[in-house]
Amino acid sequence: MENPLLPVNLEIEDTKDMSSYLKYLRLKPSSGDFRLNNNNLVFNPGQFAMFGLWGYGESPFGIASSPFETKFMHIVVGRIGNVTGAIHKLKKGQKITYRGPYGNGFPIDFFQGKDLVLVAGGFGIAPIVSLIEYVIAKRKKFKKVYLLYGVETPGDILFKDNFNYWRKSIEVILTVNKPTADWKGAVGLVSKLTKKIKINPGNCAAAMCGSQSMEEALENILRPLGISDRRIFVSVDRKMNCAIGKCQHCTTGDKYVCMEGPIFNYDQIQGNWD
Amino acid sequence: MAKVISKFDFPKLIDQLKKNYDIFAPQSKDGEVIFDSVTDATRVVLDYETTVLPPKIYFLPPEEELFKVTNGKVREIRIEKQFIVFGLNLKDLSAIVQLDQIMDKEPGDFFYRKRRDMSTLIAVSDVEVGVPPGGDLILEKISDSNFRAIATTEKGRKILNLDLFQEKKIEAKAKSKKSLSKLDEMLLDSELLSQAVEWSRENYSQIWEKLGKLCIGCGICTYVCPLCYCTTGEDKISFNKSICSRCRKWDACTLPGFAQIGGGHNFRPTQKERYFNWFYHKFVRAYKEFGQAQCVACGRCQKYCPAGIDIEKVLEEILIEFKKANSKREF
Repeated sequence: MENPLLPVNLEIEDTKDMSSYLKYLRLKPSSGDFRLNNNNLVFNPGQFAMFGLWGYGESPFGIASSPFETKFMHIVVGRIGNVTGAIHKLKKGQKITYRGPYGNGFPIDFFQGKDLVLVAGGFGIAPIVSLIEYVIAKRKKFKKVYLLYGVETPGDILFKDNFNYWRKSIEVILTVNKPTADWKGAVGLVSKLTKKIKINPGNCAAAMCGSQSMEEALENILRPLGISDRRIFVSVDRKMNCAIGKCQHCTTGDKYVCMEGPIFNYDQIQGNWD
Repeated sequence: MAKVISKFDFPKLIDQLKKNYDIFAPQSKDGEVIFDSVTDATRVVLDYETTVLPPKIYFLPPEEELFKVTNGKVREIRIEKQFIVFGLNLKDLSAIVQLDQIMDKEPGDFFYRKRRDMSTLIAVSDVEVGVPPGGDLILEKISDSNFRAIATTEKGRKILNLDLFQEKKIEAKAKSKKSLSKLDEMLLDSELLSQAVEWSRENYSQIWEKLGKLCIGCGICTYVCPLCYCTTGEDKISFNKSICSRCRKWDACTLPGFAQIGGGHNFRPTQKERYFNWFYHKFVRAYKEFGQAQCVACGRCQKYCPAGIDIEKVLEEILIEFKKANSKREF
């Protein structure tokens, strides 16, 4: 019997501060490559994994790199607690523990042949990055693809280095809540932005991640575009401990976010009491 | 013909079993009955209502070490010796059967399974057993001094080979089952309970308002419950940082931080929501996941709740209101 709680070691190949409290890590297996799943991917875009340190514990993170990449994984770690604080102190060459990937991921088969609107708020961009990479690798299978990325200030924009490469394949729309004097892009997740998005509401889907701004995006943009709640897929954030459907920390209503999520269509979780 | 053992031979049985197994059984302590390791077999108590903590403590302990990391080397912790939990009552036994199903659901819990594989369950019943709910061996009282042995697994049959069990023709019959409590009766219809509890959140919310104020959020109801199994991980480090123990401890969904994430957001910020979630899990989520409420009506949560909450009365009230509100439906 395999022990699902036993993590393996990954080595930090590269690390960089993305902002005062965000750190980017590039992780590689201690030996060999990452294993492929039934879809021939290292993980399904939108899945999460438990990363941690012995002596501190484990935390869930969305994986922010291409799911085709077997040599490394990217994660973005916000310094908000005990585990993440310890991860922030790590340097290149040091080890981090990994188990997963867990959960369902975005419905990539359902997305094929459709227009896509990807909505990311703040550092909720992480799982969306894996989806963008998947879409770009299989670009012909999708119709129009938009990334709508909202952050607090221009300084909070992550993955800037990727934009030129992304823009060759998809439309990237940036918006900030608090613009600086030199900001030329959009301000807020406002209904005006719908004018920049030309999709066929009858044949489209949306993917979202990022807690604070998502209601706004839904009310001001996705619903006015005519995308039905059933076609809007949201990455749900909950406390995770075991990630194997036992410990009960991640439940919302009758759903286990770690097993049945973290991606739900908005219909499924709308109105859940917790 | 059946295998029969005299109750006067129970201490001898335990002493013989002690040669190969660690034995845990109910014993009196400070006016309560608790499961404890047996040093003196004559001190084992069998006519008890309920123990303070349920026998889940042997399979999902209050705190258990999962991994030990010494200078970077990871070791899985496993128990080394076979053990017997002796003197379980039928309610606790059926709770373990349900807990097995929960913990073995894929991906199964490795540590729980290892402990269960090392264990043998011997239940004792003073009334007729009927269809055995599970376990390895059940001793059914058929007269003042004699018990009929019912082995349900290979582990149980192995114990029956001891000389203390004698092949006898028996005429005596066990006493018929005790009448069902109200809670037992309500649990016969898990589907109805599930519908009623789900309905009550919005349609009879006054009961949750009231309970949210009564409940002091201590978590005792979950600790004494034979079917509550929430846990949280905790790492401990030695002073010189060379040894790390990854442990897991019982948690409780009624405690304030249970659904709080890094950064501080709490998905169940009030005691009302947390207390409702305890019921919701037992009677709604559990029913949807396993087709059965996660309660065996052992009475512990009612007995030990410092606020005096009685879940039998709560469920009764909800069912009455639910039936009233849905009087045109047939149940």
